[in-house]
Amino acid sequence: MSTAATLSGSSREIVLSAEHLTKRFGRREAVSDVSFDVRAGEVFGFLGPNGAGKTTTIRMLVGLARPDHGRVQIRGLDLSRNFEKAMGHVGCIVEAPDLYKYLTGRENLLHFSRMLPEGAAERIPELARLVALSERLDDKVSTYSLGMRQRLGIAQALLGNPDILILDEPANGLDPAGIREIRQLMRHLASERGIAVFVSSHLLSEVEQTCDRVAIIHRGRTLAAGPVRELVDRVASDRLRLIARPVKRAAEILAPFGAAEIADDDRGADEGAIDARIPKERVPDALRALTAAGVDVFAVERSLASLEEVFLEVTGGETV
Amino acid sequence: MRFPGLVENEILKFARQRRFRVVVLILVALIGLIVFAQSRGRERFLGGKDWHVETQERMARIQNWLRDGRMPKSSQRWARFELDRLRYHVDRDVNPDAVSGPLFVRGFANAASYLLLPLLAIVFASDVVSAEFAQGTIKLLLTRPVARARVLASKLAALLLAITLTVLFGGIVAYLFGGIAYGYGGWEAPVLTGFRSSGERLDPAAVRSIVLWKDTVLAYGLAWFAALCVGAIALLTSVLLRSTAAAMGTMLAALIAGTILPRLAPSWEAQKFLFVTNLPLPDYYSGTPPPIPGLTVGFAAATLAAWAVAALAAAFLVFVKRDVLA
Repeated sequence: MSTAATLSGSSREIVLSAEHLTKRFGRREAVSDVSFDVRAGEVFGFLGPNGAGKTTTIRMLVGLARPDHGRVQIRGLDLSRNFEKAMGHVGCIVEAPDLYKYLTGRENLLHFSRMLPEGAAERIPELARLVALSERLDDKVSTYSLGMRQRLGIAQALLGNPDILILDEPANGLDPAGIREIRQLMRHLASERGIAVFVSSHLLSEVEQTCDRVAIIHRGRTLAAGPVRELVDRVASDRLRLIARPVKRAAEILAPFGAAEIADDDRGADEGAIDARIPKERVPDALRALTAAGVDVFAVERSLASLEEVFLEVTGGETV
Repeated sequence: MRFPGLVENEILKFARQRRFRVVVLILVALIGLIVFAQSRGRERFLGGKDWHVETQERMARIQNWLRDGRMPKSSQRWARFELDRLRYHVDRDVNPDAVSGPLFVRGFANAASYLLLPLLAIVFASDVVSAEFAQGTIKLLLTRPVARARVLASKLAALLLAITLTVLFGGIVAYLFGGIAYGYGGWEAPVLTGFRSSGERLDPAAVRSIVLWKDTVLAYGLAWFAALCVGAIALLTSVLLRSTAAAMGTMLAALIAGTILPRLAPSWEAQKFLFVTNLPLPDYYSGTPPPIPGLTVGFAAATLAAWAVAALAAAFLVFVKRDVLA
């Protein structure tokens, strides 16, 4: 098992659980039987293309929409029956970080602290420092950049000391530096403060770099769920890359063991790379066959698949 | 968490939007204009004549019109009523057209009750909920640990407060401007009120003499009540339509329809159950002949209240139940 898998092992407490969520709009089922758990201290990625049902699922998680079937539990509290108590544990940004533009950052935070138990307002200075907004806190939000709004939105979400932070596409519209800041913040909140972070994204690289576990949603259904490394390994366990000479002969010898293909750039060359898919237990035999045939092998490496390949595999070829 | 904090939030949003300042400006500008125009017109109209003489002349004019017979039926009813009202004033030696700052304030209540104050109430109410949808802030507002019904209740409380302040402010501005033109004294003057038609004629039994300030407080109370009811109905349109422009447009159309309908279709009696027909509560109270026979201040107030309660019930139901997908 990879480290990610142990990190998110079952010893950690489940903060949010979605059970068989289903939502229909007219005849169309936007979300079908979606289930997952989010545990304390982990960053949980919710990956899917635009229109896959991510936002609809999030709306059900935070009580904006009522599921037709299934339920959401937050710290063991049923969201629909115990809305006020359950939402006391949640901080969220749904879709865009929409705040009151005609108010200042501080006024916005004060506004939302009045919707929380007493003491929330006292956290404003500390949170402003955390999201690096102290200097601009008394400026109107209309003058903020999108990145600043996103950070103010996160400060707002943290006002109530939540156990779970739900962020919907936080990287949307941000520049690379902004994306990195948000990613670091999410990791910090999960590892230092033990907050469960649920983050939706349509960007594979984003999820791969940030998340401990991931659920892939496509056309309203969860297709795969688990630790990111585990998912990637599942797809990539039989992938090899070899550098050999003569490359053509090497490819011929490897072919019976599994698929083998010469890399595009090296078709005409003598020495070159081969991408092969050979099951783990047959790799020693394949290498022996190569040496026996007098082929020089310079390097053999497991090639790491990306989440993108996982995605292509589970969705049957549709890209994100 | 606590309700006063929620109301404070809503008041903050009212106060910080340009809308509130615009409404204040409209009131000041409009009342200033009315006072100016009225005081100008008045000088020319009276021309220094004694009010006894002027009133007698007016009564003679109305009698001539009636005798003439070319007046339409609905106007005849009004003319007879006006004639009786003037005669009644002359008999009691009370000037029917007396002017003073306080009287202007009193008159403003009647004039503002069926269009201006409802209009301002609509301006406030139409975006109470729809603006949150338009700004996207509804998603934050409804994902805080506060039940939706409490969120809407806090909005309603702030709305009622804003309307109340607007009515009060209108009265104060009317007094300030009216005082400049006509003097500030005269709150103790008697006024005759309660002119009610019984069939074709004025019913003298209902006419009462009342001190002006009491009469004014009553009239403003009624105008305030009508404005609150309009605010409640406009809140429903704001909840249902989720667009400020659509909500405001709908309410304005209703308001305008309500002011023309009695003139275009005076014989359609069922319109007395529409809320717009019942808005001029101060008029019905002081006894101007109602557009539809049988409209009394009590009936009108009860009808408005029923509309408001039904609108609020629907607004809460929809707001609490409906999915937020915008």
